[in-house]
Amino acid sequence: MGLIKNIGNAVKNEVRDYLLKIVEAEKEAPKQPEAENVQKPAETKVEQQPKVPETPVVKEEKVQPEPAKEAEKAEEVRERPRRKEIYPISNDLEFVRVSYKKNQDLITIPKELAELIKMLPLEEYACFVKLYCFALEQRKNYGYWGGTLKRRIGLDQLSTAEFEELGNNLAAYGLLLLEQLTENQKTFVLYVPFDEDTMVKLSTAKKPEKESEKPTAKKAEKPAPKAAKPKAEPKEEPETQRAEDIPGKPVEGMENDEMYKSYKTFVSLEIDKAKMRVGRANFDKIYMEAVKYIDKKYGFKVLSDSDKFKEYLTNYYISAFDIPTFENWKKSKG
Amino acid sequence: MLQDIKILMKSLSDIDVRIMLCKSAFEWELLAKKYNALRDEIEAFCASGLPEDVQTALEKTRAYLVEKKGELPPLDLSDFFK
Repeated sequence: MGLIKNIGNAVKNEVRDYLLKIVEAEKEAPKQPEAENVQKPAETKVEQQPKVPETPVVKEEKVQPEPAKEAEKAEEVRERPRRKEIYPISNDLEFVRVSYKKNQDLITIPKELAELIKMLPLEEYACFVKLYCFALEQRKNYGYWGGTLKRRIGLDQLSTAEFEELGNNLAAYGLLLLEQLTENQKTFVLYVPFDEDTMVKLSTAKKPEKESEKPTAKKAEKPAPKAAKPKAEPKEEPETQRAEDIPGKPVEGMENDEMYKSYKTFVSLEIDKAKMRVGRANFDKIYMEAVKYIDKKYGFKVLSDSDKFKEYLTNYYISAFDIPTFENWKKSKG
Repeated sequence: MLQDIKILMKSLSDIDVRIMLCKSAFEWELLAKKYNALRDEIEAFCASGLPEDVQTALEKTRAYLVEKKGELPPLDLSDFFK
């Protein structure tokens, strides 16, 4: 019996201890989460600290502006050499308006020219070569600068501004002569080494050459606004000089023809001026009157003959806009 | 003969319709050439003299053509001055 009592007491004690442990465990249980909560933030803080550099979000935020900056820098790098630091490749080049005697079977670039143009950046180089091919095709190294030329030399994909910039750059490098005739009209003379065997010299264009060197040098020294200079040039030039620079059909040195060519340029400019003066709508009306007048005076067949019609139309404009006739103009020029 | 002049007049009225639809100088030039050719053909056909109604129709078409040319954008003379 005593043994059974002892066993019973021992069991009771063990059960009591067990229950006490459970109660203590239950009491400690709510404290542990708090302790855990207290510990977790610390752990998370510890964990977050290494995570900060690893988190892609933070990285992305930092990375995004970088490409933009890089792109801006790249653009600046692209723009800088074009707009600012352009120095003429050669200042001694003589710009001669030439016509080629024959159509060339081969497009050959003289060594002298090749040495010069190899210094050009890729885009300017491409543009120059295209212009050179165009010059050979047209059998003259000058013409009007603008959208038509851009299209004809296969640079359609370029915007007008880009093409203008290319032209200005080539001019700044000293391999192209650009002349601003009016607000909308520009002419170019491409530098080609003169060769007596294959070319006919039409005019040396000495004065414009000297003038053209100055702006290129200025452009090289100071990245001044481009638009102001070409506009300023024609104002300084007398009309006769501008007229001489007009590209035309090859004329073989006859003074009278040269004069007439100049006169045609003068008329062209005067018509442009008149167009600006009277406005588009009025000019359209004048054109309509001209068509009716030409039909009445010269007959209907003249209207469908493009060359004759242009001639009569020009005469009509000369009369309508009080433009001096060739004889009067020649007298006024002395 | 009556049948033939009707065919020619039909060609003339076709030109009238085309003039109304014409939108470019190039189209106009083609029509003008067509008109000139047709006029020559009619004049050759009526060698003894153009009937009044045919004459009127020809003049009317010519007037249309002239008016249309005036309405089209003014001819660009830049090539002419080169």
